[in-house]
Amino acid sequence: MFLEINNLKKGFGQGSSRVEVLKGITCDIKKGEICVLLGPSGSGKSTLLNIIGGIDAADSGYVAIEGEKMADMTEKQLTGYRRKHLGYIFQMYNLIPNLNVKENIEVGAYLSDNPLDIGELLNTLGLYEHRHKLPNQLSGGQQQRCSIGRAIIKNPDILLCDEPTGALDYNTSKEVLKIIEQVNRKYGNTVVMVTHNDAIKNMADRVIKLRDGMIRHDIRNEQKISAEDLDW
Amino acid sequence: MRNPLMKRIPRELIGEFGKYIAIFLFMVATIGFISGFLVATQGLKIEYDNSFEKYNVEYGHFVLKKEATEKLTEKISNHGIKLYEQNYNDLDVTAKGEPHGIMRVFKPRDEVNKVDLLDGRMIESDDEIVADRLYLSNNDLEIGDVITMQGNDFKVVGIVALTDYSTLYKNNNEIMFDSVAFGAGIVSERAFDDFGKGNLNYSYAWLYDKVPEDKQAEKKDSDDLAYDISMDCLNEDNELTIFIPRYANKSINFAGEDIGKDRPMMLVLLYILIAIMAFVFAVTINHSVVKEANVIGTLRASGYTKREIFVHYMISPMLVTFIASIIGNILGYTVFEDIAKEMYRGSYGLTHYVSYFNMDAFVRTTVVPMIIMIVVTGIGLWRKLSYSPLNFIRRDIVKHRREKAVKLPKIGFFSRFRLRVIIQNIPNYVTLFFGILFSCLLLMFGMIMTPLLHTYSDNAVAYKPANYQYILSSKQEVDPEIAEKYCVTSLKMIDSFFNPEEMSIYGIMEDSRFYKNLELPKEGVVVTADFAEKYRVGVGDIINLREEYGTGLYAFEIKGIYETKSSLGIYMRQKYFCEVFEKMIDEHSDSMDMFGNALSKIMGERDESYYNGYLSDIDLRGKYLNEENIAAMITEDDLTSLARQMDVSMGDLFNMLYIFALVLFALLIFLLTKIILEKNITSISMTKILGYYDGEISRLYLLASVWVVIISSVLSMAINTALFHVILRIFMKGYGGWFELVIPLSLYFKIFIMMVLTYLVVAVFQFFRIKKIPMDEALKNVE
Repeated sequence: MFLEINNLKKGFGQGSSRVEVLKGITCDIKKGEICVLLGPSGSGKSTLLNIIGGIDAADSGYVAIEGEKMADMTEKQLTGYRRKHLGYIFQMYNLIPNLNVKENIEVGAYLSDNPLDIGELLNTLGLYEHRHKLPNQLSGGQQQRCSIGRAIIKNPDILLCDEPTGALDYNTSKEVLKIIEQVNRKYGNTVVMVTHNDAIKNMADRVIKLRDGMIRHDIRNEQKISAEDLDW
Repeated sequence: MRNPLMKRIPRELIGEFGKYIAIFLFMVATIGFISGFLVATQGLKIEYDNSFEKYNVEYGHFVLKKEATEKLTEKISNHGIKLYEQNYNDLDVTAKGEPHGIMRVFKPRDEVNKVDLLDGRMIESDDEIVADRLYLSNNDLEIGDVITMQGNDFKVVGIVALTDYSTLYKNNNEIMFDSVAFGAGIVSERAFDDFGKGNLNYSYAWLYDKVPEDKQAEKKDSDDLAYDISMDCLNEDNELTIFIPRYANKSINFAGEDIGKDRPMMLVLLYILIAIMAFVFAVTINHSVVKEANVIGTLRASGYTKREIFVHYMISPMLVTFIASIIGNILGYTVFEDIAKEMYRGSYGLTHYVSYFNMDAFVRTTVVPMIIMIVVTGIGLWRKLSYSPLNFIRRDIVKHRREKAVKLPKIGFFSRFRLRVIIQNIPNYVTLFFGILFSCLLLMFGMIMTPLLHTYSDNAVAYKPANYQYILSSKQEVDPEIAEKYCVTSLKMIDSFFNPEEMSIYGIMEDSRFYKNLELPKEGVVVTADFAEKYRVGVGDIINLREEYGTGLYAFEIKGIYETKSSLGIYMRQKYFCEVFEKMIDEHSDSMDMFGNALSKIMGERDESYYNGYLSDIDLRGKYLNEENIAAMITEDDLTSLARQMDVSMGDLFNMLYIFALVLFALLIFLLTKIILEKNITSISMTKILGYYDGEISRLYLLASVWVVIISSVLSMAINTALFHVILRIFMKGYGGWFELVIPLSLYFKIFIMMVLTYLVVAVFQFFRIKKIPMDEALKNVE
């Protein structure tokens, strides 16, 4: 199995104020899948994503990528793991304000020994004409496309998306989802996407619904549609 | 692939040009000045050390009462030395119708104590003179000017350095040299002879046939020589009046000892200033890290290591420090070397200057600042970056985040708001406080010293016991109505902190009319208030002194403090003086010198009416006292020479410190208030949206800093006043004399006003920054 999640538990706080956010999550995600994590606020989806991303640690259970358990890794090994396997996309684009579009994407390319062709990627993202612009000269959608570019330029095995359309309007959101889908098809990355938006599940191969820190539904989407056809 | 984050660096430097250029220029000036100082002092020291051999500097000289006969010369030469006649005349100088102190005039010197021609040419005719550079410059005299001595005119044709007068002490017993009132020069042999023998001093320099191996050997050889020469003189109907071996000659040694003495102080100054700049960088980097927390979090989540982020944020300060060090060093070897060199040349008559590359200075002004920068800035940054990527993404990277707001007293809204701004920016204000503390210290040092010197001079004149004090070389009776006898000798003070200082011990007559307020005990001594303050002694304490050239040790109990000002001295009754120093009746000679007294000890009984000086309010020379019986005369000029010389030689340094301090102060205020404004840019934007005027917003944010500046300034002055007492002690360690630290209230007021005015200038700049903050800033950053 490509990404294995086994009995993952995580809580925050201590004593009476302790909240168990993840109460034993177990699932496997195949290579090249688009997996959407759905659930209301506080269901634990972002926490799960952060643990998969190696930026948060589980209290018990483990996450393994191609059999390599993250819990056994040192801080340095975890950084190396993220560097090698992961690409991150956040709701806020977190671009470096004084680097232009191309340079922001190069920030991701630097981490890889074998990055994708930046010109081709800029074309794929529809940012080629904007490559010399600074983030503050771009629209929200363009900024998010740039952050996608930064995440996938190193051709990561897994693309982790935390509410990538959370700050965007309908049209721009669809635009961004199309890019993620396109990237997945073209480069074969596994995509794990956290979202509030129920409609997005329709473009996924796999839909995992979380509630109160537990998996309520884990379904394979047999009627997957393209992002172009999404509507909400 | 080159790290793309590197591309941020030039943009960061350009984007924050004001901040970086201010720090950069300050560092360039600091490093440049210190580098120049270190390079110059090394060059001066090397040339000074080399001058002994190059110009064949004497191993000592002595002065006889009469010209040495051939027989005496031969006898003296048999003590393993070679003699060179170095006769001189001390002559009053007039130029351009004004008196210009005294010139010690020599014949041309070809064999020993050779001169270094710095400018112009050597003398070619009998109406020409070459003279010491420092004396000429201090008296605004230059090549082509005519000076008059003993009625003869001499045209200045050359500017020279006399290696045995690198420090212009007229008399080796003087506390401080005075290069304004005393100089040295050379005229032709014929012109010299024309001065006659009225003012002639029979001086002879010597070189050892066999150079002593070390300092101990040199001291022993010279002690033996002093005894031998005095005995030879007695046998040849002559008298040894002055004997100064080279190691004890302040005219030769003082400059060498002084050059580079300020080096530790300068290095400490450099390191403190760099550390302050590093703190400023640390604060700005911390601010950037907080501002860019989400970006850092994303980069860390993407796989950037902590080290890579650390290096990225460290590049700008390191780059600025490195380039500032290089440019500072270039300026150090060009502009500042000259400034530093001239500071010393403003005090000493030094030979030609040659610049040398100074590896030690280079390391201290490049590598050490880089290390300070890494340590001060790096430690804080490394710790800050220890937060997890998730903490960064959530912007949860402020330690001790307050759970609750600090409860404030019931005061007006504006005041509460300002207090909140202060609480929010405590780390910045702490840095600001230390910056103000240090710049205030420099400012005080720059502003206090000159008035301190003037106060010293004024007090020295106001509290002087008599207009004229004479020290006799031979006894001569003067009408008691006109002059009062006294005794004086000098001993070296033994103290664990201060360098051994020559101290005058006075034997004062009972019921002295010149020391009316001085109550002297039958035994024991009274010391001046300055003495008590300098050596931290009081009534009942014992002070220890030793003979300069002998082995005698003296311990005196302090029985009282003499409340006079600008004077270091030890007083005792004249009778007690005779007892302590065993002054004996000398039936054979009226001579007052040490050799005469030593002889009398063997031959006579105690002389209770001994005296070797006169106090008088009128000039006794000529009419009442033969010039030949006067060994030294102390006037107002002599009493104020210490302050005058320090003012001349260090006045520029004080002014530089003063300007430096104001720049540092303005820079810190500018940088830290800028950070405070940047931190609050969203809030400022929001208050604009709410309808506040720019003036009101400035009052909220800039007045908070005014409070801190005012409180810090007042606290700094109080702390620095205490610190200044310590600093003055260290500063005076190498100097004879003492300055009573009196800081007038007006000076505090002046410093305070200077600081507040500087702040106001910066505040005007910041006001325009506030005006420029757009209203959409608040809307852009909603997360």
